[in-house]
Amino acid sequence: MADKGDQAKVATPMDTDAAKDPNQVGGSGEAEPTRDMTELIKDGKNAKSIVCERCNSKILLPGVAEFVTKEIFLPHMKKKSEQQKATDGENLSEHWVVSDMMTFENVGFTNTVGTAKYLICADCEVGPVGWHDVTDKTKYFIALDRVQHK
Amino acid sequence: MAKTYDFLFKLLLIGDSGVGKTCVLFRFSEDAFNSTFISTIGIDFKIRTIELDGKKIKLQIWDTAGQERFRTITTAYYRGAMGIMLVYDITNQKSFDNIRNWIRNIEEHASADVEKMILGNKCDMDDRRAVSKEKGEQLAIEYGIKFMETSAKASINVEEAFVTLARDIKSKMDRKMDATGQQKSGGVKVTEKESQKKSGWKFCTLL
Repeated sequence: MADKGDQAKVATPMDTDAAKDPNQVGGSGEAEPTRDMTELIKDGKNAKSIVCERCNSKILLPGVAEFVTKEIFLPHMKKKSEQQKATDGENLSEHWVVSDMMTFENVGFTNTVGTAKYLICADCEVGPVGWHDVTDKTKYFIALDRVQHK
Repeated sequence: MAKTYDFLFKLLLIGDSGVGKTCVLFRFSEDAFNSTFISTIGIDFKIRTIELDGKKIKLQIWDTAGQERFRTITTAYYRGAMGIMLVYDITNQKSFDNIRNWIRNIEEHASADVEKMILGNKCDMDDRRAVSKEKGEQLAIEYGIKFMETSAKASINVEEAFVTLARDIKSKMDRKMDATGQQKSGGVKVTEKESQKKSGWKFCTLL
């Protein structure tokens, strides 16, 4: 996989949580999508609006993003335990991708960590919901697991 | 892919630290359920989409987080900005007094036709008002710019403020486009004048 470098940018024991998480796609990485995508994809693009799972803020309109599988490490969005470190997270492999940041209806970008910027909800600031590598201005990822489809 | 919007406006939030610029746009939710990751690394900018007169407008909005002393903010920071929100905290007199310094800084470093607006923000809920609404209005009138009081925590007027600023930018653009569209030869003349001025200025410095 070409993305090992991406994951290394967050200095953390990145495999611990992923390994424990039963929902994790198996070791194969480029695996088949774990969910039924037929309702979510239409003409190769997202069939539904992509909104923040906490506050419903609109992130992407229907028909603007493509589905890709790519393993990306994202720090946890929710506090799961008192012991959780800020950089603990999980590998996620199902994403929507857009090629222009202005495609987003509403989204926030964090400061850059290494070459990564993390995407958050513009309204309630929950996140990361997605990821962007500043060295590739044509790819902005939103993790399916971190958003709602409406 | 076809462009899905009509205008892109770049906006800045400016003001002393602690006035709630962070609240106006960058909330850093203290929600216990939120991970600490985002608040640790901080937010760079946001993209928001609004509609004005049937046109879709993208706003790209930056905060000055971490470099709030106006002396440290110079031309590079203002480059490309079409609108600036000047924010003070209504419970903090100093932040209000400093708006004048911020305006001076903008006049010195930003593009001359940047749209400005003053926001008196009430960041927390306790009422410790130190600056009356009238004072804010007077200051805005003095500089000929718009004024609004916002409560970022209660989301009062925050979106309205951004829409107002965007509307002013758009009106200015529309007027400019009308002017150049109506008198094409005039437009060319202006460019000629400008280039003459430039070479004249160069000549002077050589002497």
